[in-house]
Amino acid sequence: VEAKRESRPARGAPQNPLLAMSIMSYNGAAIIAMVGKNCVAIASDLRFGINQQQTTAVDMKKIHKIHDHLYVGLSGLATDQMTLAQKFKFRHNLYKLREGRNMKPETFAHVVSNVLYEKRFGPYYAEPVVAGLDPVTGEPFITGMDLIGAMAPTTNFVVCGNNEESLFGVCESMYKENLEPEELFEVIAQCLLAGVNRDCLSGWGGVVHVISKDKLITRTLKGRMD
Amino acid sequence: MARRYDSHTTTFSPEGRLYQVEYAIEAISHAGAAVGLRTNEGVVLAAEKKILSKLLETSVASEKMCKLDDHVAVAVAGINSDANLLINSARLFAQRYAAGYSEPVPIEQLVHHLCDQKQGYTQFGGLRPFGVSFLFAGWDKSSGFQLYQSDPSGNYAGWTATAIGANNQAAQAILKSEYAPSMSLNAARKLALKVLKQTMDSTILMPEKVEMCEVARAHEVPSEKHIRFRMASDKELEELCGLANSATLPTS
Repeated sequence: VEAKRESRPARGAPQNPLLAMSIMSYNGAAIIAMVGKNCVAIASDLRFGINQQQTTAVDMKKIHKIHDHLYVGLSGLATDQMTLAQKFKFRHNLYKLREGRNMKPETFAHVVSNVLYEKRFGPYYAEPVVAGLDPVTGEPFITGMDLIGAMAPTTNFVVCGNNEESLFGVCESMYKENLEPEELFEVIAQCLLAGVNRDCLSGWGGVVHVISKDKLITRTLKGRMD
Repeated sequence: MARRYDSHTTTFSPEGRLYQVEYAIEAISHAGAAVGLRTNEGVVLAAEKKILSKLLETSVASEKMCKLDDHVAVAVAGINSDANLLINSARLFAQRYAAGYSEPVPIEQLVHHLCDQKQGYTQFGGLRPFGVSFLFAGWDKSSGFQLYQSDPSGNYAGWTATAIGANNQAAQAILKSEYAPSMSLNAARKLALKVLKQTMDSTILMPEKVEMCEVARAHEVPSEKHIRFRMASDKELEELCGLANSATLPTS
């Protein structure tokens, strides 16, 4: 879902009828999550831009840890992404205090969906990707969502960001089922780097987390810095 | 004389007393004792369990201790259902603070918020006060390890060592003579159980009758990430109770 609005030129500046910006491409992001054998991987790019043209930071991770086996990546408007990350942390902390245990990924995905739908008619301009393992059984779970909380759980991969078509393309070509953590890392890393290369709003390297029951692999990727 | 002025919380007596608040404080002196000690390595809370039954399902929830956030916990003395309400309010306050400031809530602010709530029930609305006293144990970056005590009136104070609940005067007397601010966390754990043993009715301290928790450093460096709340395990309690039962207290 893309929310388009006409960008308003500064007072006194000449009108440019060709300038129409989508709020979802104001900052830029690319996120992929994949399912492997008893593991999940989630990766994002590191670019943080303002008003599309200006790259302001190259270490902006869009993936947030909820607990040891649950991560959420958020694309879209950066300020909404940051606020939502805080809201999700808030909800999970209270859940953990009251229940005495961590949230299951499906439960968390529903919480995310609810938080987004609460703002159905004035939404957060962020699209999340949830990736995690069931804390008890270790079963992998990933899902993507639109900005008003429609979940789309799959058993292979989800992508979101500015260049979804490219990301889908590389994932479709390179993804295989039942990959071991190290293999999954290779695949998701290559998919991310290839996917962001054709998008000027995402890139500048990447970060990958591969989550297995007893191990976490986190690596930063070096890509084309442009 | 007192009977005329003790039904409404929002009325002073001619002697300038709030009887309902005093009665609430009296209610807590019948509750299970809780003792807290602060050291440079952490804060220890120990409490006597009053509800004991083989039929009781001991799940994750504890009777006396409660975690409010990763860096702060409370021990409860008084009416548990009243305490649950306040604990929920404290947890929400702590999370809202963390969401707004991106840092853990400073302990005194949390205590203050809870006490303001308690005070409200002594001044507005005509509702009875909360019959709960708390011992807060926590750590924050600016003030380090802290121990606070609050009562139904909404008063609170910071302590190096204190006790609430049944026989708390006896407990405080022992703490006065035996507590030293330079104690190690281990010594504080032992002293906490020694004090409980003296204030409880039984001659032998049974591990099933006590609970203990601490907010302490997990590693050497006292950064926010390394402070954690921990409930004492059954094995640990058994060990410490054994020590308390064999030790003899010096005559004061």
